[in-house]
Amino acid sequence: MRAKLVLVVACAGLLLASGQVRAHHAFAAEFDVNKPLTLKGSLIKWEMVNPHSWFHVAVKEPDGKVTEWLIEGGSPNQLIRMGVTKNTVPIGTELTIEGYRAKDGGLKAVGRNFVLPDGSRLFLGGSAPGGTPGDKK
Amino acid sequence: MNRRSLVSFGVLVLGVAVLLTATIAAQVPAPLAKPKAAVKAAPPPTSKPYTPPKTPDGQPDLQGFWTNSTYVPLERPQGVTKEFYTPPEAEAAMKAAAAREAEQTEPGTTADVHYDFSQFGLDRSQSTIAASLRTSLIVDPPDGKMPPVNAKGQKRAGERAAARKAAGGQYDSVQNMPIGSRCIIMGGAGPPMMNAGYNANYQIVQSPGYVMILTEMIHDVRIIPLDNRPQAAQELRQWVGLSRGRWEGNTLVVETTNFNGKNAFRGASENIKVTERFTRISDDMIDYKFTVEDPETWDRTWTAEAPLAKTDGPIFEFACHETNYGISNILAGARAEEKQKAEQAKKGSN
Repeated sequence: MRAKLVLVVACAGLLLASGQVRAHHAFAAEFDVNKPLTLKGSLIKWEMVNPHSWFHVAVKEPDGKVTEWLIEGGSPNQLIRMGVTKNTVPIGTELTIEGYRAKDGGLKAVGRNFVLPDGSRLFLGGSAPGGTPGDKK
Repeated sequence: MNRRSLVSFGVLVLGVAVLLTATIAAQVPAPLAKPKAAVKAAPPPTSKPYTPPKTPDGQPDLQGFWTNSTYVPLERPQGVTKEFYTPPEAEAAMKAAAAREAEQTEPGTTADVHYDFSQFGLDRSQSTIAASLRTSLIVDPPDGKMPPVNAKGQKRAGERAAARKAAGGQYDSVQNMPIGSRCIIMGGAGPPMMNAGYNANYQIVQSPGYVMILTEMIHDVRIIPLDNRPQAAQELRQWVGLSRGRWEGNTLVVETTNFNGKNAFRGASENIKVTERFTRISDDMIDYKFTVEDPETWDRTWTAEAPLAKTDGPIFEFACHETNYGISNILAGARAEEKQKAEQAKKGSN
């Protein structure tokens, strides 16, 4: 569906790299487009810092070993304005993260998409998992 | 823009917000963020000129939380020849811009190597927008475009490019990286104050003899004296320059010079002069205009209008690069790439 929307926009001749212009820094310098990944794990900590927040996630490897990954997300300020706090996403929340791995090969990635077990996205523009904007759990 | 068109546009903008919600939600798998329906553009209809409230010491009151978030580009787009869109044209332009912002990347391209703005509420449709029917922020020259860079400006641009090249690759060292990436300063602080893209919020506080402007993105503060003091010596230069303000009726006029030249606005020299005019035209809007004067870059002055719309406070801390992951990751990524290329070259020569 996402690809379909991209196609529609591109066909309309409107596709511009506005997201890149607005980016705080060159993400393609930090993460590798040739290393897409999908991680499944549980939240250990969410660092609500600027310019980008960081999710610490415990990921269980196929051999049973648990590794800690750091996943880069967006500035938290607008979410805070919408009522999200550091307690909104409980520690232990199960997340599926689609993104790209760091170029240096470390256990770091950018989170293109954060998805909850029921298939919904982690934040829907300020609404917390199972909550609504302004819901301060 | 007259008040009637502003009122009409306020209605239009709310309509666009509703339309965008329906349009986008129909095309993406998960329900996209609900636009915050907080587009505050229209002053109440009235035939009387607006009289701003006064601070206890008698200044026109500009205090509060404001945003210059907008979809209007600085320069008029190619193919557009008029100063104002009609409301339906403005609706179409805003819809197109919001659609690009909501989903503009193609999976598997470098443009996709980024978090999703909408998940973090950072696309403009989720915050207050300072709406306008203008086709460009630039109002003078009348064609809505920046004047051409003169010979002196072109020479300086060449020298700056040569100096960057001599310093080495962009990711060779922290010092070579853009100042925005290094969290030193970004475009929101100005002057002139330009839309930061997201978190484009300001707080204005007035006290007797001073106006303070706090910029959320990225934590800069301007303290503007109003006591007619002379400008400081030319040797004293700052990232945001040094501002001197005065009231002309209900308009705060701020002149700023003494920039350090390291944060060149649109390629300007360190001797740029920016004159800003803040006029509160309703409870919810400040008319903000700025004029740029730099004979070392442009042969004429140019002026833009970038209104400030009232928004919700408070301003949240933006301690940029707290924990500093980004810079170290970028530098580590560049070193890893160099190592990989060296190994490939070695294999190729064997």
